Amino acid sequence: MSQAATRRVIFQPATYRRLQRGVNKLVDAIRPTLGPRPRLVAVNRLLEGKMPEMLDNGGTIAKRIERLADPDEDMGAQLVRDMLWRLQDQVGDGTATAAVLFGSVYNQGIHYLAAGGNAMHLRDYLGKGLQMVMDQLSGMTVQVSGKEQLARIAESLCYDPALSRLLGEIFDIVGAYGRLEIREGRGRDLEREYVEGMYWEWGLYSRDMIADLSRYRTEFDDAAILISDLEIDEPQQLYPALEMALRAGIPRLVIVAGRLSDRAIGFLLSNRQPDRFQLMAVKTPGWDTSQKAAALEDMAILTGGRPFLKAAGETFAHVTPENLGRARRAFADLRTFGIVGGKGNPRLLRQHIGHLRSAFNQSDDTVVREALLKRVGMLLGGAATLWIGAATELEIAARKEMAERTAASVRAAMMEGVVPGGGVALLACQPALQQALARSEDADERGAYRTLIKALAEPFRTLVSNAGYDASEAMAEVRMAGPGYGFDVTVGRALEVMEAGIYDPAIVLKSAVYGAVSAAALALTVDVLIHRTEQPKHAEVHVPSKRKKL
Amino acid sequence: MTEAEQIESRDLVYGLAVSPRFALDGICFAARASGLYRSEDGGLTWKDAYRSLELRQALVTATVAVSPAFDEDRTVFAGVPGGILRSSDGGHTWIVVELPSPPPFVLDLAVSPGFSRDGVVLAATVEDGVFRSGDRGASWAAWNFGLLDLHVLSLALSPAFGQDETAFAGTDSGIFRSTNGGRAWREIDFPGDLAPVVSLALSPRFPQDALLWAGTESSGLYRSPDGGHTWTRHGSDVVDGTVNQILLRVGDPAESEVMVLAGNGLLISRDGGDSWAKWKAGLPTGCALTAVAAPSGLGSGAPLLLGCADGSVHWLDQPKEG
Repeated sequence: MSQAATRRVIFQPATYRRLQRGVNKLVDAIRPTLGPRPRLVAVNRLLEGKMPEMLDNGGTIAKRIERLADPDEDMGAQLVRDMLWRLQDQVGDGTATAAVLFGSVYNQGIHYLAAGGNAMHLRDYLGKGLQMVMDQLSGMTVQVSGKEQLARIAESLCYDPALSRLLGEIFDIVGAYGRLEIREGRGRDLEREYVEGMYWEWGLYSRDMIADLSRYRTEFDDAAILISDLEIDEPQQLYPALEMALRAGIPRLVIVAGRLSDRAIGFLLSNRQPDRFQLMAVKTPGWDTSQKAAALEDMAILTGGRPFLKAAGETFAHVTPENLGRARRAFADLRTFGIVGGKGNPRLLRQHIGHLRSAFNQSDDTVVREALLKRVGMLLGGAATLWIGAATELEIAARKEMAERTAASVRAAMMEGVVPGGGVALLACQPALQQALARSEDADERGAYRTLIKALAEPFRTLVSNAGYDASEAMAEVRMAGPGYGFDVTVGRALEVMEAGIYDPAIVLKSAVYGAVSAAALALTVDVLIHRTEQPKHAEVHVPSKRKKL
Repeated sequence: MTEAEQIESRDLVYGLAVSPRFALDGICFAARASGLYRSEDGGLTWKDAYRSLELRQALVTATVAVSPAFDEDRTVFAGVPGGILRSSDGGHTWIVVELPSPPPFVLDLAVSPGFSRDGVVLAATVEDGVFRSGDRGASWAAWNFGLLDLHVLSLALSPAFGQDETAFAGTDSGIFRSTNGGRAWREIDFPGDLAPVVSLALSPRFPQDALLWAGTESSGLYRSPDGGHTWTRHGSDVVDGTVNQILLRVGDPAESEVMVLAGNGLLISRDGGDSWAKWKAGLPTGCALTAVAAPSGLGSGAPLLLGCADGSVHWLDQPKEG
C-alpha cells in the first residue's frame, strides 16, 4: 500500500465510538423486523420514480444500506452487514436475530473494555462461552417431519399461512434434498406442480425433432440412451451407433452429445423409417466440463448406461447395446431433457446418492453445496415447482423472495432439526453460562459470560417489544411458567412453544448466534481505523461464501 | 358347460380377495392367468367376472382387491398388464382405467382401510413404481418421490392409514416407507442383500406396536418390532423358498398368530413367529399353493381359501387349536 493511498487514521477512543455508531445504525434499522409481528422498513426509491420498498428482512435491509455518510461509522456498519450477508447466503434467514445479538455483544463489550477489560481475553472467553451455547442448542435439537410440522416451521418464518401450507406439503413430498423450483406465477394464487422423473434444462438440438407439436415435445417409451459429451462434426461419426441400434432392434434412441454440427443434425433428421426407428438428439447438460461430467455420471447411473467422454478420446466406433442407458420414458423439448424410470441398478443409485449427500454435508462451499443438492434432488425421482402469485408484480417478487428464504430454512430444519422458537432456545442456554460464571474467577471470563447471558435475552425482548408488549413483563411471565415456555405475541400470553408449534430451524439459529458473537468479538478487538483513497486491486477478488460447520 | 365355469388346469391363481362380509354373502374373487373369477358361494362355484367386457383373449390378472366398505360401495379393483380395472357393482361390470404409457404391469393393489372417506388406492407396478389414486380409482398418477427402485413387488397399508397415512412398498432391492399416503417414499433399514421383498404385512395394531413382517424371494421371513428400523429372521429352520404371503391374526394381540405361504407350503406360528409348524391337515392333494385368504382372519375353525398352481381354489376350516 502506498503512502499516497492512505488518507486518514483513527485511534481510540474515537475508534470504538464511531464504529459503535455505525453498528447501532444498522442494527436499529433491522431490529424492528424481528419476530412474527414485525414492523416494516421503508426504503426510498424516489430516484427510480417508484413507491418506497417495504422490507421486513434483515439481509435485504442491510443490502439496501449501501453506505453510511460517515466513513468511520460505515466501517462499523460494514462489520454487521458482511456478517448478515454471509448468514443470508448460507442459511437464508436469522439475520434480524443475528443483528440484535451482534449489537448487544458489541455494546456491552465496549462498556466492559472502557472499564479496563482486555479485548483479546474478552474475545477468547466470548468464544468459549459461544461454544457452550452451541452445545446447549445442539442438545435441544429435535428432528421434524410431516406436512403439518413443516408448515408450522414455514409459518413461523414467513407468516404467510397459504405459502406455509404449500411448502409443508412440498417438502413432505420431495424431502430435505428434493428439487424445488420457485417461479413467478401469472395469477393471484399459489400453485404447485410435481414432475415425475429427472430432468435437465438442456434440450433438443433442433425443433424439427419435436414429434408432438401440440405439446411441443417428444416422448419416447422404453428409450435407449447413448450418453456422451462428444462433439460430432461429420455424420460418419454417428454411423456405428446407428448401425448398432438398428442391428440390435432398438426402436427409439436418444443421442446425448456435446455438440452436433448442422450436417450431423441434418443427417439425423433425414431418417426415412420413423415408424421403425425413432431418433432424437439432445445437448449434454452443463455449462462447463465439471457440470457436464456430473450430468453424464448421474445419467449413466440412473439409466445403467456408459458415458462416452471426449476427454478420454472416445468415439462411437465400438459402441454396443450394453453401453446404452435405458429408461421407461424419455422426453425432451427445446429447453429440457428428462428421464422417467431409469433402468440403472437401484443399489448403485443408492450408493451414488449416498456419496453425493456425504459430499454435500462435508462441503463448506455454498456453490458446491447448491450443485450437489440439485443433483441429489434430481436423482430422488422428481421435482416440485411452486408458482408464486399475488396482486401486483411487486408483491409477486417480494413473496417469491420470501418463499425462497423460507424454503431454504425449512430444508435446513429438515436436515438439521429444530429448536424451541420465539427466543426461548437462547434463554434456555443462559443457565449453563450462569454456572460457568459462578465457577470463574477471571474478570475477563466473567465479563464475557455476563455479556453473553444478557445478549441471549435480547432477541426475546426485541420480538416481544416489536409486537407491542412490555418485554420485562413478558420475560417475568415466561420465567414463572418454567422451562420450555415462551411468549406467543399473537395471543399475548406464555405457552409451551414446541407444543404450540413455534420452532426455529436449529442451523439458522446456530448460524445466527455463531456469526453474530464471533463477528462482534472480533470487532471488539479493532483499535485503529485506516481510510484509503484507492481500493487496491487484490481487495476486489471474489471469495465464495463459506458455510461454517457448527 | 354351465355358467359356473370350470377352472382350467395350469391356470395359476395369483391372488384371492374376499368380501368383508364373506361369512354372510360368500363373495370372493380369484385373480388368475386366465382372468378374474367371482364366486358368490364361498368359492364352491366360479364365474368369469370379465364376461361383460367380451374379451377376445384371456386377460392375465395379477392381483385383485376389494373395498373395505364393499358391502356398501361394491367396489373391486383388478390389476392387469397396462392398467387397472374398477368395478362399482361387485365385479359384474368394469371400467378400464389405463395408466400412463408405457403400460405398466400392476402386481399388487392396496385399498385404504378408510376408502369410503379418502378414496385412496395404491398400485404396485413391475417397472414404474407406485401409482396412486385419491378418487376411488377413477384416475391414477405415479408418485415415486424417493422410491429409488421402481420394481415394486408388494404393498402394505397401516390399519390406521386414514390417520397416519403410512404405507410400505417392498421392492427388488429393499423396503420403502411413505408417511404421506403414498405420495413420497423413504427407504427403511432393511438389508438390501436380503431383497427382493415379495410380501409385507402390518400388525392389525400397527399404530401401537409398530410390528411389520417382510417375506423375501430367497432369504426367508423377517420381523421388525419397530416399524422397520431393526429386523430379525424368523422360521429359518422351517420357512423355505419365496415367502409369497403373510397373514396376521386380527384380534387379540397376545395370541399373535402368523401364517405364511412359502415355497414349501403353508406354515403357521401361534407364538409371534418363534416356533413354526407346517400345515398339512386338510390341504388338497397335489395342490401347489399360490395364494391364500383368511376371510374371517386367523383362528381355530375360521375358513381359509387356498389358490393352487393348477387354477383350483379350495376352501377349508382352520383346525382347532391343540
